[in-house]
Amino acid sequence: MRLEAYVEFAKRAFSREGTYRFQVFSRVGSVLLRVFLLATLWTNLYRANGEQAGIPLHSMLTYVVLALLLDIVYGVNGAYVVREKIREGTIAIDFMRPISVPLYVFSDTLGQTGFALLQCVPALVLSAFLVHLDGPPSVLAFVAFVAAVAIGFVVNYFIDMIMATMTFWTMEIFGIQIMVQFIASLLSGSLVPLYFFPQGAIQQILLNSPFATLYNVPLSIWIGKIEPAQYAAALGLQLFWATVFGSFAVWLWSVGERKVVIQGG
Amino acid sequence: MVSAARYWDAYKEVWRLNVLTLMEYKANFFIWLLFTLVYHGVALAAIWVILTKFPSLNGWQRTDVFFLYALWMVGHTLNNSLFFMVGDVPDAVREGRFDRMLVRPLDSLFQIMAQPGQNFPDDFFVSIIVFGIAAALVHLQWTPLVALLVVMTILSAAVIDGAVQLVVATLSFWVIRLDALRWVVMSLENDFTRFPLSMYNRAVRIILGYVFPFAFMNYFPATVLLHKTADAAQFNPALGWMAPLVAAIWAAGSLTFWRIGLNRYQGTGS
Repeated sequence: MRLEAYVEFAKRAFSREGTYRFQVFSRVGSVLLRVFLLATLWTNLYRANGEQAGIPLHSMLTYVVLALLLDIVYGVNGAYVVREKIREGTIAIDFMRPISVPLYVFSDTLGQTGFALLQCVPALVLSAFLVHLDGPPSVLAFVAFVAAVAIGFVVNYFIDMIMATMTFWTMEIFGIQIMVQFIASLLSGSLVPLYFFPQGAIQQILLNSPFATLYNVPLSIWIGKIEPAQYAAALGLQLFWATVFGSFAVWLWSVGERKVVIQGG
Repeated sequence: MVSAARYWDAYKEVWRLNVLTLMEYKANFFIWLLFTLVYHGVALAAIWVILTKFPSLNGWQRTDVFFLYALWMVGHTLNNSLFFMVGDVPDAVREGRFDRMLVRPLDSLFQIMAQPGQNFPDDFFVSIIVFGIAAALVHLQWTPLVALLVVMTILSAAVIDGAVQLVVATLSFWVIRLDALRWVVMSLENDFTRFPLSMYNRAVRIILGYVFPFAFMNYFPATVLLHKTADAAQFNPALGWMAPLVAAIWAAGSLTFWRIGLNRYQGTGS
């Protein structure tokens, strides 16, 4: 199968998203509302208790805004379409087409994420009016941040894809998927930086967990909690989890596909 | 006029259907129960982690903020058990299902609320347990007066919550796309009420106190129950006892607004 087809899928997903203008408006608005809420919360907490875990208030506010922007990027969930295809049975027709369904979904997700990234621009600019934002500590840090988000995006895609693939076995996956998202929001450092969790074993486990690759790694690079000497290790951890989840996703998909092709669903 | 007994019979029938549905889809029920536990569990865990590291939020400790959340949770889940389907009005109007309800003899708002497949009150039972834990954590002294305030607050909170949802739902008679407003109201109710009102600026205090009075669901009563004198200095402590009054005003106001919206909808036939 030629690559151009998948590029075209991504482009179409991008322009399809562009037709939902109103959603863009409300998504940016919702980010601003949360920036306001969380900025108020952390400002009050720092005023009464001082700095904790070596994260000053201005870094914390930057962290909050970037975490909300990452929510937009990771929130795309293009694998949703797989669940619908399996539920409605149209997946069988897709298997006859000369395309790979997981690659199609990846291209589609990429296109949607491209559009999500565009929404981050107004959200970021308007957030800068509400709170002071720190830039990344260096050009290298910015490059590492972009790389970390890219790997985080891939891990996130694999997690979504694994969830969607499970629809081959159970239709009740939607509730479980939202549950995983909520748990991930806590364990990834999206709601609370992992450095604020109890020190020792708990924090160490969280810092190395697959969820940490989504938010903690890129955000820590930006605010300087992960220093240049640790970039390789941090990105290496992300790549490790990307490989683990990727292999599992591919294996699970092949089992599911065989199940449909042989047993007819 | 249809007699109250007919309404009661219809309502009982709806709940019988709910139970039957639940028996048929047990796995689904348990997944959503688990979801409820995870949703509130994550919210409470985040509060717990943050306030362990930062022990004071405007003089509120982690147990106090836990209590604030639990108090909101009981009222909110009671609202979900009773009035959850009010949020279905915009969809029902858009899909034309609402017109069908208008030609039936029972009140249309009652029909909206009494649709089978609504929330089972499992989350309400969960929240009572959570509230019990929270009350123990803050060493709440259960005097008759305290019990009265707690019960009054929970019942009023459910009504305030439901009345606000009804106002938002009624707007759908005029405006088709309400997603943004619904989202803002939900965020104000679910997220902003997690923390003491005293931490916010004047604008948010006015919004949560007087525009969408969610502060009466938990913050104002909690300042009385937890003896928060610093907060009482900023807000009249009598506000802690005002939830029933606010609930009555909002119930009357939202029902009136609903009638106006309904008349307009039926009048123009649009």
